[in-house]
Amino acid sequence: MNIKEYISSGVVESYVLGLLTAQERFEFEQYCEAYPELKAARDAFELAIEKQAMENAVPPPINVKEKIFSAIQQKPASNLSKIVSIEPTIRRSSGLRWMAAASIILFLVTGYFAYTLYNQNRDLNNSLKSLEAKVDQMEEYQKIMSDPNIAVVNMVAMTPAKASASIYWDSTSSDVYLLIKNMPQLPSDKQYQLWSIINGQNGQLQPSSLGLFDAGENQKVILKMSNVKKADAFAITIEKRGNTEGPNLEQLQSMGKTKIQ
Amino acid sequence: MEPKTKYSEQELVVLLKEQNNDAFNYLYDHYSGALFTIINQIVSDKDTASDVLQEVFVNIWRKIGTYDVTKGRLFTWMLNIARNAAIDKVRSKGYRDNQRTQPIAEGESGMAMSSNPVVNDVGLKKVLTTLNEEYRKLIDLSYFQGFTHEEIAKMLGIPLGTVKTRIRTAISQLRTMIR
Repeated sequence: MNIKEYISSGVVESYVLGLLTAQERFEFEQYCEAYPELKAARDAFELAIEKQAMENAVPPPINVKEKIFSAIQQKPASNLSKIVSIEPTIRRSSGLRWMAAASIILFLVTGYFAYTLYNQNRDLNNSLKSLEAKVDQMEEYQKIMSDPNIAVVNMVAMTPAKASASIYWDSTSSDVYLLIKNMPQLPSDKQYQLWSIINGQNGQLQPSSLGLFDAGENQKVILKMSNVKKADAFAITIEKRGNTEGPNLEQLQSMGKTKIQ
Repeated sequence: MEPKTKYSEQELVVLLKEQNNDAFNYLYDHYSGALFTIINQIVSDKDTASDVLQEVFVNIWRKIGTYDVTKGRLFTWMLNIARNAAIDKVRSKGYRDNQRTQPIAEGESGMAMSSNPVVNDVGLKKVLTTLNEEYRKLIDLSYFQGFTHEEIAKMLGIPLGTVKTRIRTAISQLRTMIR
């Protein structure tokens, strides 16, 4: 809206002189709150009208004042009939105003509740998701641990760092899960590597990689490693990050022999 | 307690809302003349105008609780009560019957001007005389006689939109003249 045009349209004077319709008046009052210059124009015209009227004041007959004071003080009840004709319009207009105010308050309150509920709902959704993820993970652990076909291989630490872990090895599906219990964090260029080892017929060990992994202190994680059908032992070594070669057995951290086979 | 002789508008409103007698006394002494002039511009008969003024002040006393300072000055609020009461009086059956027995004051336009000739040329009415004929007629009909824009459009045979814009123009001219 162009407020300058609005101000010069005559709406200010019409408002002050009581010539606007209820709708126009309501709009004007809304705009007054939003545009200080509109309110300033209203104030200025009101003052001008008041000044004009005061300068042209004509004293009323002297007995009028007495009549008024006796009407408002001594016979407040008997004057009710006179007021009745005016009361309904007042009540209606204040009722309308009240309803307008109430509807605005209602709108704000519902808006506030909707916003709060939306936030609560979002927070609840988020916590639900993270709970679901945790439950899924725990169910998976639980399934692994209670499965009769799964063999547990405890890895025995081979160094003073006491790297410990357990292997859950599913003999039917060949799935291998690694539960890290205590594996010290490695420099960023190093990774742990899990190996399955088969004792060769001529006494040679045949290692095959089940995957590289990172581990930090205080971490207890189950990692799904590569499948293996046959293994006499599992071993964890420290290798350079992304190692593609065979195991560096001098860096053997822990080792566990399988009972099966 | 000695009544105060001067109140700020803010003080006055607070006291009136508490139904303070001294404040109402001051209100009457201070504003009755100005409101009486307005009423006289609509109601020609001085005795009737006095009755309207009495009614207006009784209503101000009773309705002060509904006055909302954010919507305008106290005087503006009282002015509109006075104007509406005067228009209502002019339109009442008793007033019209009474007027029929008296000679009708004709305005220059040939339309019955509602004002008493004695107070015709003061205040807003005086300002009105400086407006052109057409604008003056529109202001007289809408402000002093209280006709709606629809009624004026019908009366003068002008489209409603034209009535609205002309009244707005006429009235915005008042602002520059009143200063």
